Amino acid sequence: MRITNNMLGAQLLMNLNRNAQQMNNTQTQLATGRKINKPSDDPVGITYSLRYRAELSSNEQYQKNVDSAVSWLEFNDTVLNQAGNVVQRLRELTVQATTGTNPQTALDSINEEVKQLKEQLIDISNSKLNGKYIFNGETYDVKPYDFPSNADGTLDTTNAASVVTDQGKINFIVGESVQLPINVSGNEVFGTATEQDNLFVIMNTVMQALQDGDQKELSNQLDIMDSRMGKILSIRSEIGAKTNRVDLMMGRLDDLGINLTDLQAKVEDADIAELSLKSKIQENIYNASLSVGAKIISPSLVDFLR
Amino acid sequence: MTSTFHSIETAKRSLFAQTTALSTTGHNVANANTEGYSRQKVNMQASIPMEPFAFLHSTSPGQLGTGVEFDSITRVREKFLDDQYRNENTNFGSWSIQRDTLEKLEAIVNEPSKTGFRTVMDNFYKSWSDLSKNPEDVTARRIVKETTLALTDAMNQISRQLDSLSQDLDSNIAVKSNEIQGYLGNIANLNSAIVKVESLGDNANDLRDQRDLMADKLSKIMNITVTDTPQGYQIQMNGQELVTGGAVQATVDSAFLNNAYTAGTLTNGEVHGMIRSRDTLVSDYRKQMDDLANTLANGDIDITIPAGSVLPENNSLGLTGAARTLTSDMKVTVKGLNGLHQLGYSMDGTNNGGLPFFTAAGGGTAITAGNISLNAAILADPSKIATSLRTTTASGTETVIKGNNTLANLIANLKDTPMKSADGLSSATIGAQFSAIVGQLGVQSQEAARQTSNSEFLVQQVDTRRQSVSGVSLDEEMGNMIKFQHAYSASARFMTTYDQLLDKLINSTGMVGR
Repeated sequence: MRITNNMLGAQLLMNLNRNAQQMNNTQTQLATGRKINKPSDDPVGITYSLRYRAELSSNEQYQKNVDSAVSWLEFNDTVLNQAGNVVQRLRELTVQATTGTNPQTALDSINEEVKQLKEQLIDISNSKLNGKYIFNGETYDVKPYDFPSNADGTLDTTNAASVVTDQGKINFIVGESVQLPINVSGNEVFGTATEQDNLFVIMNTVMQALQDGDQKELSNQLDIMDSRMGKILSIRSEIGAKTNRVDLMMGRLDDLGINLTDLQAKVEDADIAELSLKSKIQENIYNASLSVGAKIISPSLVDFLR
Repeated sequence: MTSTFHSIETAKRSLFAQTTALSTTGHNVANANTEGYSRQKVNMQASIPMEPFAFLHSTSPGQLGTGVEFDSITRVREKFLDDQYRNENTNFGSWSIQRDTLEKLEAIVNEPSKTGFRTVMDNFYKSWSDLSKNPEDVTARRIVKETTLALTDAMNQISRQLDSLSQDLDSNIAVKSNEIQGYLGNIANLNSAIVKVESLGDNANDLRDQRDLMADKLSKIMNITVTDTPQGYQIQMNGQELVTGGAVQATVDSAFLNNAYTAGTLTNGEVHGMIRSRDTLVSDYRKQMDDLANTLANGDIDITIPAGSVLPENNSLGLTGAARTLTSDMKVTVKGLNGLHQLGYSMDGTNNGGLPFFTAAGGGTAITAGNISLNAAILADPSKIATSLRTTTASGTETVIKGNNTLANLIANLKDTPMKSADGLSSATIGAQFSAIVGQLGVQSQEAARQTSNSEFLVQQVDTRRQSVSGVSLDEEMGNMIKFQHAYSASARFMTTYDQLLDKLINSTGMVGR
């Protein structure tokens, strides 16, 4: 084949261009740390990459939701613990009052404390988390146990037993198509209107009995109290179980996050060691083609004629 | 018998021939870097020898040579390679434009990135998930509003970019049509010039080179066949005549090219690449993005509305009165995010159903990527974002339960819910539909890049072969130069020698003893 000067030039230019392009590719991958920088770099890989990215983003959101759920559940648990303490103390006082030797003055002073316990119970039943009444279901913007005041500044809880709290469940999304109800209603905790062991009814009855010195009624109430205590405890254990479930969920989401990041890295991330090596090799080849090119391009017969 | 001055004539012929050859060498060297130039050579041959046959034949033996003469100056070129070059060049033209377009589309789609459509989409659903935890919270509503704006902006922008890409291609086609018309005019003019020159028996080498160069350039823009006729090059595009002899047969403008594309005569080359990019590639992605927007807003989705939910009056499911309150979970099909949103209640104090979430900007009902926008009423008042699916009726007045987050949860879950496109062909999550678009783009772009580099390589290869035949080699020219220079010198010496011979004969013969 006849070789002309322009052929040599064109060939050299094309090869230089090709080498430079490869170097540019490697440099882009090195600079971004990714081997997929545009869809055509790996059309199959990019669909995986997009999916992993979307799943990671969902995962992040689920983790945030789980955190919120945990704070709800923990707050519920704390409040129920306080309610349990109130029942416990009420029981102690009632037991104390039933020992027949108490004079009426002693019963009155016990009654004073029970009154305080009632105030505390009302506070507990109206507990708020982030401005939401936790015992009023989905109508958490409404105060569930809202009582009118008596003349002496105490609250009139005569109607307490008939308070109906909302039964709506507040669901948090804690995983793909996993919804978790995170609230308990006031009626479940403190009793409904029809239940004999409604905590407010118990309080009112105990106070009345203390006032009247009705020891028989007081000892009757002890059993009823135990029944309510049992219910509160069972709700607490249910919340505990839910908290465990959410904790497990959190662990699973963390694992999933790691897995997804790992998968994403496998699809997207560049092998830096390999690229560095490649980059060095390409640089050498480029330099070599430049210097060889400079040598073969310049001479022609002109250089050697007299 | 030869004449006395026979050899002077022989020497003179040689001097002339060598000078011409040397001049041509100079011409070649001068045009070593001229685009489209093919090297020329002087065809020398020994001129007709002295002794004729028949009666005039003398008795002297042998035929005496009469020196050299050149009968033509021709260019060294192979037509077959020209045809091959033009074929490959046409291919290269079409693919390189399509590759460029697809690269631009990849830039428009902008994936994988932290700012692309997918991220905006994720943020949209995340904001709904956050809102579901605090449905009454004004801030969370504002965030949903903002992420929705980001989503619609992203779609609108992609649509605008596709528009301007389409317009760019349009104006490029117009520019190319002017270019084509210019080349056709040039080829026609050269045809007549060449015919004129060659009718005198000369070879119009340089004009032919120019005409071939024009044909080469034209071949990159469109598919042409070049036929060499006695009237010059006849240029055809799939049978349609463009140039015959000295006349241009077609007025090439955008309309002409578009018609030719539709009629199937324009099948390759840059203009073909442009029209195909505009009418197939860009418009396909535009349609897919439009479908995506429409599916998000109106595509059929299957959802389960939980028991205890109360649907608004005038709901799309046709439930009225007591039936509005669901006593058990109900599986229903609703029309996209718009349909779902209208099943819920907002926080604007009324118990009317929600508004369509997305509307088409500038009116109209068909939602496209270009016009999808957040309902203006919701934009003005984020409390109109519906989140609740429950009301309570107290003393005849129905009020919305603000803490109910059922609808917000349903919408947040749409991320993982398949949505059926309007044509009913595909049913997948919006995310999956978008990745399908990106994947398709990747495959097409990869294919176009591969085809481009292949055809570029072929063009280069054919051109190398052509250069090998027609290109000017400086080494060769230098060699020739020396050859001709020496021949010239030797002829001159021969003439001097013969001059001395005659000098002897004329001036020194018969002078004995003088």
